[in-house]
Amino acid sequence: MNRNVAVLGIAATPVGKYQSDASADIHTLEHEVLAKLVIEAMKDGGLPKEEIDSLILAQCRPYTQQKYFATFMANYLRMPCAASVMEVLGNGMTGGIALEQAIRDIESGRARAALAMGANFESATPSAEHMNSSMRATGDVDFHTPFGLTPIAWYAMDANRYIHEHGSSRRELATVAVKDRYHASLNPIAQYQKTITLDEVMAQREIVEPLGLYEVPPRGDGAVCILLCSEDIAKASGKPYVLVRGRGFYHEGVHQISEIPNDMIAFNSLQRASKNAYENAGITAQDLDFAEIYAPCTIVEVLASEAMELAPRGRGARAAADGETTLGGRIPISTSGGLLSRGHPAYVTPLYNMYEAVEQLRGDAGKRQVADARLGATSCELGNYNAAMVQILEAVR
Amino acid sequence: MSIEVIKKGRPRAYPPRPTECTVIFWEALTKGKFQTTKCNDCNSFTFPPKPVCPHCWSSSVSWKELSGKGTLYSRTTIYAAPATFKNETPIHAGIIDLEEGIRIATQLLEDDPIPIDSAVEIVAILYSDGPLYGARKPK
Repeated sequence: MNRNVAVLGIAATPVGKYQSDASADIHTLEHEVLAKLVIEAMKDGGLPKEEIDSLILAQCRPYTQQKYFATFMANYLRMPCAASVMEVLGNGMTGGIALEQAIRDIESGRARAALAMGANFESATPSAEHMNSSMRATGDVDFHTPFGLTPIAWYAMDANRYIHEHGSSRRELATVAVKDRYHASLNPIAQYQKTITLDEVMAQREIVEPLGLYEVPPRGDGAVCILLCSEDIAKASGKPYVLVRGRGFYHEGVHQISEIPNDMIAFNSLQRASKNAYENAGITAQDLDFAEIYAPCTIVEVLASEAMELAPRGRGARAAADGETTLGGRIPISTSGGLLSRGHPAYVTPLYNMYEAVEQLRGDAGKRQVADARLGATSCELGNYNAAMVQILEAVR
Repeated sequence: MSIEVIKKGRPRAYPPRPTECTVIFWEALTKGKFQTTKCNDCNSFTFPPKPVCPHCWSSSVSWKELSGKGTLYSRTTIYAAPATFKNETPIHAGIIDLEEGIRIATQLLEDDPIPIDSAVEIVAILYSDGPLYGARKPK
């Protein structure tokens, strides 16, 4: 039995800095923030809590003191569940895996409705300290980490290879950051909402050559709750909903770089995952009205847009610079402001991307609304897009 | 076929952990020998060295010396580094395609940026607490 799955309710905090210092007198804690969002998402979807059979949590950052967070939340909200209560983890893909697990529980008939949610709190931990942990997540601890490679250093190497192969430039890639910030200026939950110019982007201090401060992700905290259910339940609710129309996943069996030399900047896992998702949905890339792409750096959005067939190979940066991916352009990308400006609390970032896709498809995106948005795609990844997940979403109103 | 060994009078910022398998790699590296494992069944190299072949899953592998010659596939300079590396910034790093058909990532020893797609060679670097390796323009 394979049932259609719908997204019926959403709630999220603005991305910002919430994590309290360990010595604070009054703390802001993950479970209190998330509990309010659960109630808000259920109200948004109009479902009673008894319909929820699965609780899928994005694992919290190691700084979160409360462990076994999923079972803790099941108690905190008194939610008996007949299908799943679990935490998932997969680097930047974590929130996407939470969504995928919720979808699987519903499509298989094990769950009537499910919550995919999470709280990523990390901002009270300084970046240099945080990188002591994250450097061990994006490479071989014994054969990469000793050289000081950070997560975004790999993307920087994508950028230099892209510039070398395709005659692009840092300046051309940096137009993505300007576009993202413009989109974020229209998004009330974005972390950075003040528009910036290309010259301002270029003038920032270097972080990983050729990328400066505004071309790499900011650090921030966030929490999101997404309510999913069978399409039957969504229909019966009488509310607008979003149908999960297709999905794709691929892991290329590689951690950061392939020991057999390959075309690293082809993002072949994303090529496979998006092709599978398009086929699964019975559409082509040209049918999409927008794409909410997981792209921690400017270059990543460019490479992802090419891998998802939204721009020709080697032309993604040009397309961005020409405004094709800006609101009102041929294929708006990351209308939320993306990871660069909406913000990137990494373990819940894919949940924020789903939040944006739902706002667009319900016509709730306000000034950043894509006109008559019917079909959208989201992507998420881990490593250097060594694994990719794509969801195709359709408006039902 | 040995590679040059350069000495550095300070410890490694983040030392690798030798295993029964990889200690052979690190000890050889100390003597200027850059080698990895090669499968006795499917003849594929693997890097880092492994006690099994990841390609055909054979458990029969042998050590094979590498020339240390390769081409720079991409590069970067890291200015914002983890706290562990605060005394080593900026860090120069690159991805190198060795002539035996193996891709690795390592530090770059350079004053000016080595151009992408140009030749590089691997050198062993002996720190006060043990070895690492890196790549530079061929001497």
